[in-house]
Amino acid sequence: MRIPVDPSDWLILIPEFILLGTAIAILMIDAFAKAASDRSSPWISLAGTAGAIVAAVFLWGNPLSGFGGMIVNDDFGVLVSTAILTGTALAVLISVDYVRREELPAGEYYALILLSTIGMLLMVSSANLIMIFLSLEVLSIALYVLTGFARMRPRSQEAGMKYFLLGSFSAAILVYGVALIYGATGTVDLQSIADELISPGVLGNPVLLAGAGLVLVGLGFKVAAVPFQMWTPDVYEGAPSTVAAFMSIGSKAAAFAALVRVLIFAMGGLRPEWLAAVWVIAALTMTVGNLVAIAQDNIKRMLAYSSIAHAGYILVAVAAANRLGLQSIPFYLIAYAFMNLGAWAVVTAVTRKGEEAVGLSDYSGLFWSHPVLAGSMGLFMFALAGIPPTAGFTAKIYVFMAAVAADMIGLLIIAIVTTIISAYFYLRVTVIMFMERPAEPPVVTVPTPLAVAIAVAAAGTIWLFLFPGVTQSFTDTVARLL
Amino acid sequence: MTLHQIAFAAVAAVTLISAVFVVILPNILRAALFLVFTFLGVAGLYVLLNAEFLAAMQVLIYIGAITVLIMFGIVLTQQLMGARIRQATQVRMVVIALPVVLIAFAGLAKTFIRPFASAGEHVAAAPAPVDAGTLHQLARMLLQPYVLPFELASLILLAALVGAIVIAKEEKD
Repeated sequence: MRIPVDPSDWLILIPEFILLGTAIAILMIDAFAKAASDRSSPWISLAGTAGAIVAAVFLWGNPLSGFGGMIVNDDFGVLVSTAILTGTALAVLISVDYVRREELPAGEYYALILLSTIGMLLMVSSANLIMIFLSLEVLSIALYVLTGFARMRPRSQEAGMKYFLLGSFSAAILVYGVALIYGATGTVDLQSIADELISPGVLGNPVLLAGAGLVLVGLGFKVAAVPFQMWTPDVYEGAPSTVAAFMSIGSKAAAFAALVRVLIFAMGGLRPEWLAAVWVIAALTMTVGNLVAIAQDNIKRMLAYSSIAHAGYILVAVAAANRLGLQSIPFYLIAYAFMNLGAWAVVTAVTRKGEEAVGLSDYSGLFWSHPVLAGSMGLFMFALAGIPPTAGFTAKIYVFMAAVAADMIGLLIIAIVTTIISAYFYLRVTVIMFMERPAEPPVVTVPTPLAVAIAVAAAGTIWLFLFPGVTQSFTDTVARLL
Repeated sequence: MTLHQIAFAAVAAVTLISAVFVVILPNILRAALFLVFTFLGVAGLYVLLNAEFLAAMQVLIYIGAITVLIMFGIVLTQQLMGARIRQATQVRMVVIALPVVLIAFAGLAKTFIRPFASAGEHVAAAPAPVDAGTLHQLARMLLQPYVLPFELASLILLAALVGAIVIAKEEKD
């Protein structure tokens, strides 16, 4: 493989470079003007993220590839990147007052958020197994630290350590899978793997199957699919709420993009082989995620299981591997970025210093003291449950349609039944907020940036329901890739 | 058996036997010492694969840096120095673990030996791994086709450095 790197290849990476420049600027300001950095770093990060979104949109519509095919910029990638950058922007907004309240080191916090985002964006556009692994490491290492960021809280430390150990282990499994795929096909380039798979000798090679399985395990860990989900509730509970919000969308979206590229774009010819595995994982993820969420009294743990369950629905679209499935994955991720970040924003608002007040009972009668906040939380819960008029409904309908088109009726039935089950615990939060009327309803303060984040998330959740076509026309071009 | 195969068997034996000692020795300092031999064995495997540069790096980083760091950690942690740590030496554990490992190994062997033999001509047809052995070519590979992964590795280091400082920094109250 001797492909010279063209200088223009670097243009594809403009969003990443904007974020990197922002991260380094924040670290420099932090080093030389500590006081100024505490005030300015969230706004600098927000500006950098906005710049990256603009750059990503400019890259829209002209499929590029660079670095000898290691990086591709296709419409699928741009859409998933949009979901990730939306999540980052909202996570930065809800962090502004949280970081101050918890007395976390601001400069390093925002710099690590941006570094992790760079890893996510690179993972989305990687078309090479080495690049997928390296960008996974960039995003993970920053997330390990962010999880344990509240050093004074043992819970946070424990979560960081747990995430680090399990995450390193799963990364090792992924690398083992990459090595086996290389052994079977002689290449780590996804396009070349797809070309190799045409020859029958490679197709039935057990080494290739083992490699694909290990890669599925490694990425399944990152998207929090059952049975690789053990870390999720503990990490979400221990991590600062804002970090949990950030990673629930970012690392999931990035890992799903990589999963789509490996399983569908590169190993589409192997679908008869991997379908059974993905089918079982998707069914388990939906069932376990939704059933265990019912038993949770801690809102952060409940949202963790909810995030597991949503990974299951997206896996249904991956298993379908058809036009509709490919269209629904970016849509689902963008919708999920809005509704899930919105829910986490409300959690951040209700939580008190030191991550107190995370029980469901702390939401009792919230409507009577903060009607707008409780109303938004109700909207996000409806959206996560998949009830109209929200983007969550539209996203689930797309996934179900993809399952029908792929003739996966069994999986469709499991998806519908678990959706109905999930309504129970999402609506329970709403009932607690609206129906209960304690003598002293909880009093919380909602700082302005947090309120803006909640408003944006709520607007996005409804907007994507009213005008799903906005992303639909985008996703049409994605489907042409098949 | 060729000379190469004999050398491989010897190096593999050193690696595996010292790896077993790492796991079963109750004295953690001795276990760490055996880790040196395990890493040396892996370096030997690299030499047998004609990857001299990788072998040198293996010695430099894994033995020179990582093991020494582990030693420092043990020596500077008072309770650890003379402590006898119960490792996986209980008979019960071995009885459970042994059949599992054997079955897994048999499965691996069955999976791997045949396809690599039959797919031999196929792998050979793939672009031969460019002589990564010579330093010159390795540098060329890293800075030309693989420049992006190379630079990305530095980003990992940056994230790790910032993270390490955050975790280790003294609280100034």
